[in-house]
Amino acid sequence: MNDQPTEPGHAANHLPTPEHGAVDHKHIEPATPSGSNPAQQRQRAIHLAQAVRHELQKAVIGQDAVIDDVLTALIGGGHVLLEGVPGLGKTLLVRALARCFGGEFARIQFTPDLMPSDVTGHAVYDMQSEQFKLRKGPLFTHLLLADEINRAPAKTQAALLEAMQERQVTLEGRALPVPQPFMVLATQNPIEQEGTYPLPEAELDRFMLKVRMDYPQADQELEMVRQVTRSTRSDMLDIQPLRTLMQAKDVLALQRIAGDLPVDEQVLDYAVRLARATRTWPGLTLGAGPRASIALIRGARARALLRGGEFVVPDDVKGCALAVLRHRVRLAPELDIEGLSVDHVLNQLLDQVAAPRR
Amino acid sequence: MRLTDASVVIRPRTSWEAIDLGVLLAQRHRALLMTSWAIVTLPVFALITLLLWDYLSVVVLVFWWLKPAYERLPLLILSQALFGSAPSLRQALKSFPSALKPQLIASLTWRRLSLSRSFYQPVQQLEGLDGLPRAQRIAVLGQKDSRAARLLTALGSTLELTFWIGLMVLFYAMIPPQIEADWSWRSLLDIEGEWNWLEHLTNGFYALVLIVWGPVYVSCGFALYLNRRTALEAWDIELGFRKLRQRVMGSAVALLLGGCLALTLLPSSALAESALNPSMTDPSMADEIPSESGNSCPLPPLDNPQTDENVASPDSPRLRNQLLTSQASQDAIHSVLEQPPFKNPKPVSGWRIAQPKQDASHDARSAETLTWLARLIVGLLNVGKTLSTLFGALLWTLVGLTVAWVIWRYRVWFATFVGKSTPKAIAPQDLPQQLFGLQVRAESLPADVADAAERLWQQSPREALSLLYRALLSRLLTDYQLPLRSADTEVQILARIAELKQPSLDDFSHELTRHWQNLAYGHQMPPDQARQTLCADWRKLFAQGPGA
Repeated sequence: MNDQPTEPGHAANHLPTPEHGAVDHKHIEPATPSGSNPAQQRQRAIHLAQAVRHELQKAVIGQDAVIDDVLTALIGGGHVLLEGVPGLGKTLLVRALARCFGGEFARIQFTPDLMPSDVTGHAVYDMQSEQFKLRKGPLFTHLLLADEINRAPAKTQAALLEAMQERQVTLEGRALPVPQPFMVLATQNPIEQEGTYPLPEAELDRFMLKVRMDYPQADQELEMVRQVTRSTRSDMLDIQPLRTLMQAKDVLALQRIAGDLPVDEQVLDYAVRLARATRTWPGLTLGAGPRASIALIRGARARALLRGGEFVVPDDVKGCALAVLRHRVRLAPELDIEGLSVDHVLNQLLDQVAAPRR
Repeated sequence: MRLTDASVVIRPRTSWEAIDLGVLLAQRHRALLMTSWAIVTLPVFALITLLLWDYLSVVVLVFWWLKPAYERLPLLILSQALFGSAPSLRQALKSFPSALKPQLIASLTWRRLSLSRSFYQPVQQLEGLDGLPRAQRIAVLGQKDSRAARLLTALGSTLELTFWIGLMVLFYAMIPPQIEADWSWRSLLDIEGEWNWLEHLTNGFYALVLIVWGPVYVSCGFALYLNRRTALEAWDIELGFRKLRQRVMGSAVALLLGGCLALTLLPSSALAESALNPSMTDPSMADEIPSESGNSCPLPPLDNPQTDENVASPDSPRLRNQLLTSQASQDAIHSVLEQPPFKNPKPVSGWRIAQPKQDASHDARSAETLTWLARLIVGLLNVGKTLSTLFGALLWTLVGLTVAWVIWRYRVWFATFVGKSTPKAIAPQDLPQQLFGLQVRAESLPADVADAAERLWQQSPREALSLLYRALLSRLLTDYQLPLRSADTEVQILARIAELKQPSLDDFSHELTRHWQNLAYGHQMPPDQARQTLCADWRKLFAQGPGA
């Protein structure tokens, strides 16, 4: 997978980027050979992100919004909880992302008998050296797919906590850093509640985004069926033809460039106001914490980069607000009984919190 | 019908005495009544059973339903036996078909379930009345004793049931005790699963019960009827007068003869002649016996509805058509009676002492104390009444305040969820004056936006762009009636503009928004040529004045 690293900018130059002409025709500064110019670096990052998006769209058909959200989390340095009924391509999306990304990829299928040491690793006795050696678990990777995360009991789910927040794993009393970048993509199934362990609030809060996958549009489903039935593997989309577009250091660079995107005070204020509004909003018994405000800004920066922008606008915040907030709030029971969903109430909130304009 | 020939003592009785008389009457003629009943009903029952052999319940139902038809025979016999000699069995059976015919359908259909059947049966069978006359007659008769007649029917059905069950139990009692253990007697009677005959036997029991009870029921109803007529037509008084006449007849003749001799006048002989002929003194009886064709209980003349009509009542139409109608006079009387001297209602509420009776036995001292005490109590009660009014007002105020408090307390909820459904009226005066923290009201903008923006651009491009953007929003709100909300971001506003499908406006808005975003969020100064393009585009788009 990683034996043929592709030069990111090179790959991206061939790809059609719709925003290309519209965004930066006045601000491209003369390219220096070193490529150290921030504006040029940003341009490359934008091209790379858009190339990855385009590549993913080839593999996962009809889920453009979800692809954007997953890339937002990747660039924003967060983790994603993917929720959707079976058969929508949750695992396929993660596998396609791993394919485009040249780093390490590991997958854990969560089951009720999965132990924390199966995730983090454990010490084994080496007969030859006559001492304990640490065997690292699948957690030590760049991309971790935690499939059906709610099937494992709480202690196993909690094994992820430290790695997700602090980017390190404590094994045998030693704190071992996980490789950078590190991203957990967990999937869960919203309809099956039998034999599942709902994720605790603390665990949920560590996911930057909770992304809902919905059924694709009719024409996109048509296209998907056409492609799948043509593929050699008969029942799933083929991810083999996807190109590896970026390496681990490219992702780190993307994250750094996104973190450097300027955010106006008004936009910052807007994100904080959104998060704070959930705490006093009627219909929500539990509001989002400060981590939500942070995730909103990080997500907005990543979306700005994906959009090809040079700064963050309120639309970037609003665009990722639903995914950031929906797993951090709790709906009031009376509204739950009435059949309203969290998304419904959050959309009301987004419709009533004034956008900045000054 | 001659009252003197009646075989019973005619006097007014209570209804229960009358029913008792009916039982005695049936008892006297029991042989004739039961035999004739059995001769009529048993063949009918056999016929129904044969026709409906497999429908056992239907057999007994039909037989029961036809009861009014059989009941005519006992009444025929009883009516003849009451005022004269009882007919023989042959005579009775011979005259039965003619008695059966009139109003049979009515008796078997809509009058079948009447509870006063036996009481009113003589009206149609003996008086021969039908339709309106019958209804009027029944109304007169039913003013009394109809309750007793209904109870008689209810009692009769109970008795029938009792006798019927009694006969079945008797039949059961006939089964030897060695076999009938645990109600398994059916196995004894079980002839290859043929149960029909047992059911038919039960039905036959009912027919047998009716032989006993049917005539008694008719007789009781007839006695009730007779009693009612005795009261209505004063038969007993009439009989008393007749006895009186018979007793004094001899002395009256002697007196008249004496008078004749003394006066030697012609008319006296005529008088005596009329007095000597008792049958002439009862013209109604003499006239009606031949006229009533076969009816043994004719109507009395005064009960005839035709004679009633000759006496005009105050409500009759003839009197209503007079100049001063009785209706008008009645109204006038009522209106006068409703007025103050006669009626002066005035509601007065409050506690007062009941006026004690003037009783001389009470001594003055105790009466004084009592009055004082009573006054105190009444005073307290009146105070309590005032207080209750006060508390009522207080409670209502409290309710109102609570409602207001609830509304105020949950105003956010109401504003969020209740107000959503009401459609927003976008009237020009309702337009937001301030949107997104910007003054977007048309009056707050300069008359020529492009000129003002160009002038401002030199000093501060930010304010110029802000002015242009404000003006654009203002135009969108006023000219295009776009429902913009403060929560809408720039991209959402652009999407709304795109819905208008005006390419020039769309392009201009995109350009302006891009410059505005670059400046506001990216802190990038717009290029100088943007000034000309934007202002020129603005002039092109909005050449006319605001609000146009």
